[in-house]
Amino acid sequence: MKMRDIVRRAGRSLKQAKARTLLTSLAIAVGAFALTLTIAAGQGARQYADKLIGSNVNPKALFIVKDETIFSPTATNTGLREYNPDDTVLSDGSAVKQLTQKDIDALSKRDDLENIEPTYNLSMNYLTVEGDAKKYTSSLAAYGATILSDTAAGTLPSLGVQIGENEVVMPEDFATTLGKRPADLIGKKLTMTVAKAATPPTEEEIASIIATEGTAGLARLSQGETKEIILTIKAVKKKTATALTASTSLEVSSAKAREIAEYTTQGTNEYQKYFAVSALAKNSEPDVVKAALKDDGYTAQTAKDLQGVIFAVVNTLQGIVIGFAIVALIASVFGIINTQYISVLERTQQIGLMKALGMRGRDVARLFRYEAAWIGFLGGAIGAGGATILGVSLNPWITKTLSLGEENAILVFQPLPIIGLIIGLMIIAVIAGYLPARKAARLDPIEALRTE
Amino acid sequence: MIEVTHLTKTYGKKHNVFTALDDVSFTIPDGASVAIIGKSGSGKSTLMHAMSGLDRPQQGEVNVNGEDILKLKKKAVDHFRATQMSFIFQSFFVQANESCFDNVALPLEIASVPSRERKQRIIDALEAVELGDKIKSKAKNLSGGQKQRLAIARAIVNKPKILFADEPTGNLDSTTSDTIEDLLFGYTKMNKTTLIIVTHDPDLAAKCDIEIRIKDGKIESIKEHKKAAIKPMTAGRVQ
Repeated sequence: MKMRDIVRRAGRSLKQAKARTLLTSLAIAVGAFALTLTIAAGQGARQYADKLIGSNVNPKALFIVKDETIFSPTATNTGLREYNPDDTVLSDGSAVKQLTQKDIDALSKRDDLENIEPTYNLSMNYLTVEGDAKKYTSSLAAYGATILSDTAAGTLPSLGVQIGENEVVMPEDFATTLGKRPADLIGKKLTMTVAKAATPPTEEEIASIIATEGTAGLARLSQGETKEIILTIKAVKKKTATALTASTSLEVSSAKAREIAEYTTQGTNEYQKYFAVSALAKNSEPDVVKAALKDDGYTAQTAKDLQGVIFAVVNTLQGIVIGFAIVALIASVFGIINTQYISVLERTQQIGLMKALGMRGRDVARLFRYEAAWIGFLGGAIGAGGATILGVSLNPWITKTLSLGEENAILVFQPLPIIGLIIGLMIIAVIAGYLPARKAARLDPIEALRTE
Repeated sequence: MIEVTHLTKTYGKKHNVFTALDDVSFTIPDGASVAIIGKSGSGKSTLMHAMSGLDRPQQGEVNVNGEDILKLKKKAVDHFRATQMSFIFQSFFVQANESCFDNVALPLEIASVPSRERKQRIIDALEAVELGDKIKSKAKNLSGGQKQRLAIARAIVNKPKILFADEPTGNLDSTTSDTIEDLLFGYTKMNKTTLIIVTHDPDLAAKCDIEIRIKDGKIESIKEHKKAAIKPMTAGRVQ
């Protein structure tokens, strides 16, 4: 018997039991609905993450640390360890290996790296803006020249060029807090007060200061030294939906950042020690540079790795929902088996007749398997179609609620995964229909035709 | 020619052995109409099943044109039934929810007849049983007699060499029965098809060329009737 004829007969049989066919396929549709939405959400999240990374991280960027445990959340450095003066002891007692000036010099000499910028540990006491009597405080960061941002006012230098040593860039939010329009802030003076780390004075220092300045001098000494840094506001950065970093920090040039960091940590354990270094790969792929750095005792993370970290989270969440959907599908498999068994019993005479007329058992089995495939197709189409319609109509609302930015959608429906899903469901349905189909194929035509 | 030799079929084991067919032998010439007559439980249905290859008796041969169909593999027997044999049953076994066209198409689909040839053959078969105007009707909307005529159309559409009819008029009133009998005899005589009717109705059996009487699995008698008893098909009598 020809495949086309069997497929047509299978379709006709299902049409004759419309309600039953529809109800059985609805069970599959539930699973298909959940799977389609999950796949779409995963796709959307990945696209969004890609966009996020693309607009925040230079693809050639490398984030270099000395302590490999920083990138592996499971490993910790607690317990008894040999003391290393270059380590920083964190509040939970674990120690982190830091990069020293020696490391920076070594990295600078490499010919596969450029734009080497240590991540300075920056802090300030307070800041004031020209024309405003109030004191403010904010986080401080070094200006990243490898990513170009949009400005609300003022201009930024071209890609790869640092801002001037006495210039500062602020995020748009700050203008709002200051109650000024971004354009009005350009060229204004910003004064930052930074404090030197208070080191306990030695007995000799106390003795000498009392001798020269008296008790007033002693008070000043124990308070610690401060310094004012006067900067000009160069630009106000625009807030974008996909901007991750630097949107909440005041940014100074890397030379100024170094100056501040060295001033504030002078005399402490932290002096000229860096948690990490960011650099750009030169002349070769970031992955190659990463491997080369590993041989030299450094651990590096590339833009791709960062993407991997975000994708891992997305994949985990997706896996959980897919798990639930699969449970729903397993339930629907039993629905198909049950329905097909009943169908075989109901159609005993028909099967008997077909076999008496010379239809082979194999073809009878195929007839029932194709019926199952039709049920799978119908369920998949209903579920995927419903999910697509719902998702597409909900997308604008989700984007608005999560403020993802205009052209970003969290649910991305692509035809290929949906087609793949429907084919997969048809295969599952056929597998579910295996036992009933075998029962039909093995039916004895004499017995079947005796049933009155 | 169909030669049945020493056919024996038993059911059950050891102490509960029931012999359905006991050393049955006879010969049917091509194009003859044969009635297998007997009471229920006499073994007449078992004989039909064995002759059509649906059942496998323990002993004996069924030679159809020199080939023992009981020795063929299952696939070959199925093919043999699909291309050379047809069946008509007491309770019609037409698919109620399908159209007459689709009902008649089934044997052609099973025999893998190319679809371009099918349509004309189906229309011809339906017209031969006077159902030419019911091609698109659902089988469930037909009367009993029409259903059996539809079954005949389904049986003759693949131009079988042997047509088995199991109590073809058992569920019909006498007028309708006459129509069906006329159709069956008329078609088989005209096309030289061997007709094998299983029945317990002596009147129907008397209309056949050969009457094989079965009792307790054994042949009681074989009678040959005069050919004059056969009426030609007359279209006017079909209701």
